[in-house]
Amino acid sequence: MSAKQQLKEVPVDRDTLHKVEQFLYREARLLDNERWDDWLALMAEDIHYWMPTMENRRRADKNGAYAVDRGALYNDNLLDLTRRITRFKQPTAWAEDPATRHAHVVSGVEVYQGDKADEFVVHSSFVNYRSRVEKDNDLLVGRREDVLRADGDSFKLARRKIIITQSVLMAKNLNTFL
Amino acid sequence: MCTANDGSPVRLKRRPIAESVANLDRLMDLDKGRMSRDLFWDRDIYEQELERIFARCWLFVGHESQIPKAGDYVSTYMGEDNVLIVRQKDGSIKGFLNTCPHRGNKVCFADLGNARQFVCNYHGWAFGIDGGLKGMHASEAYEETGMDKAEHGLHPVAHIDSYRGLIFATLDPQAPTLAEYLGDMRHYLDAIFDMDEGGTEFVGGCVKSVIQCNWKYASENFVGDILHAGWTHDSGAKAMVGGSVAEVHKFPDQSYQVNFNGHGWEFNQDIVGNCATLGEKDLLKYLYVLQPKVAERHDDFRSRMIGAISSCTLFPNTSFLPGQNTFRTWHPRGPGQIELHTWTFVNKNAPQEIKDKWRKGTMMTFSPSGVFEMDDGENWEYSTRSNAGYVTRQQDLYLGLGQNSKLDTDLPGNVYRGQINEANQRAFYQRWLDLMKSESWKKVPQRDIPKMKEAL
Repeated sequence: MSAKQQLKEVPVDRDTLHKVEQFLYREARLLDNERWDDWLALMAEDIHYWMPTMENRRRADKNGAYAVDRGALYNDNLLDLTRRITRFKQPTAWAEDPATRHAHVVSGVEVYQGDKADEFVVHSSFVNYRSRVEKDNDLLVGRREDVLRADGDSFKLARRKIIITQSVLMAKNLNTFL
Repeated sequence: MCTANDGSPVRLKRRPIAESVANLDRLMDLDKGRMSRDLFWDRDIYEQELERIFARCWLFVGHESQIPKAGDYVSTYMGEDNVLIVRQKDGSIKGFLNTCPHRGNKVCFADLGNARQFVCNYHGWAFGIDGGLKGMHASEAYEETGMDKAEHGLHPVAHIDSYRGLIFATLDPQAPTLAEYLGDMRHYLDAIFDMDEGGTEFVGGCVKSVIQCNWKYASENFVGDILHAGWTHDSGAKAMVGGSVAEVHKFPDQSYQVNFNGHGWEFNQDIVGNCATLGEKDLLKYLYVLQPKVAERHDDFRSRMIGAISSCTLFPNTSFLPGQNTFRTWHPRGPGQIELHTWTFVNKNAPQEIKDKWRKGTMMTFSPSGVFEMDDGENWEYSTRSNAGYVTRQQDLYLGLGQNSKLDTDLPGNVYRGQINEANQRAFYQRWLDLMKSESWKKVPQRDIPKMKEAL
């Protein structure tokens, strides 16, 4: 349990909860459909999109399983995400052609008031299943902690932390966002 | 800093060398640039590799910077054998099989950490960081039987040593020294791991993934295959720098391949070509400032390698990329699978923000989410898997580029003109064949004569 998680969690009203859920479900659909530019447009300018790798350490080891200055599969700002999407869109991205089929399943959405009036802390769990060509099937399951910032009638994603269960990634690559 | 492990009572009964897979010579005709696909598929060949390659060669097991203090350890693999690499109280380093000599359970489940002792979860056997058995749960029961604890420590690796911070170990007591094993490659390793007096360190921990390919596809790619980059990695280059990969095949007089004892390095003299793919100007500036100092410390030729378009494999399964600064081991997991462990190496004396940029750079380019590595895995998986076809795997494969391109030079190692070449791949497979055919280290032919005097 991080110190942050022990802070008082102030729930939001049902209308805000509904809007956040719809935002996350739409985001998942954009990724399923490889609508990369539309997905990128959901990011705030100062996005920190982070997916650390998990180290197996003993409980007594104060270093913990992950940290921002250690291994990561994503530790991205907007430029980094833009570069990844540039690759996806190249006709020479050989490992994307034929297309990968993606299923992003989002569940367990909880929304709390953030540190700032226009920000929300959003917890969710996810299942991600990818299938390529005949029978390359990769499953990732985990949990996300987001900060969403109000943007007109919708939101921008300002921060995302993705924690997966795997320590050794059981796949040859990670050609999707979570 | 490293010492060989002391010879404790030998409880490990190594099997006599097994009968070889028949007629290994049929697997390659390197002068004609041909080789068999059986190397990537056959289970018996794989089992013989575990015996004659992985239980015999010096294998990379860690970087000194990962275990600075007494009791610091990392858990890693030598072939499929899990080993613990542990810093000792006197500053030396020891390595042990990660298995309890009582009933065989693993004694350490963490990837890394600091330990005063390793205690087996099964019956509580407790081992010091020197591997010695110190005590156990219900010790009276053992005392009654007269068991001598001194005879039941963790089993040490046969030899452990380091070069420029890189720690290697071998499980074969008859192995040559690490200096002999690396031979003339040390001359070139100094260009990357000894740029200044601070040497290198690993930063950011280890990123691990599984690829369903034969380990040799990965090793041969890094030993000499820059050729694939211009095609396979076009999308990654466009993502990172907005253009195509440099057309190195047009300038064969500005680049080289060098190999020794099956290790190989393909490289350009462009100083920063690999580093440029990280899209970080500050890293280029750092290397350009460092280059004249490396020239002074070593020589101009090697100073032009510090971040150049290049790749290297240390036989059999450890590779790195100068400039992109990824360091990696392809652990074999059967003929059709590897577990890839990767780290980021940096100069210890580099400013923190430069180290951070390299740590991010390896993630963006050569990690499972990296824009370059993403396209490698799929190539190697299907180069392996297509051999399931009974007839398919009887079609041999080609590796004939650069025949007759060997240069007459005073440079250490076997040096070839042009990094677009398959001389290193052929040397890698020749070494593989020599080891597979030899019943002991003594019988392995010494094809390469070292130019570095201090080698023997």
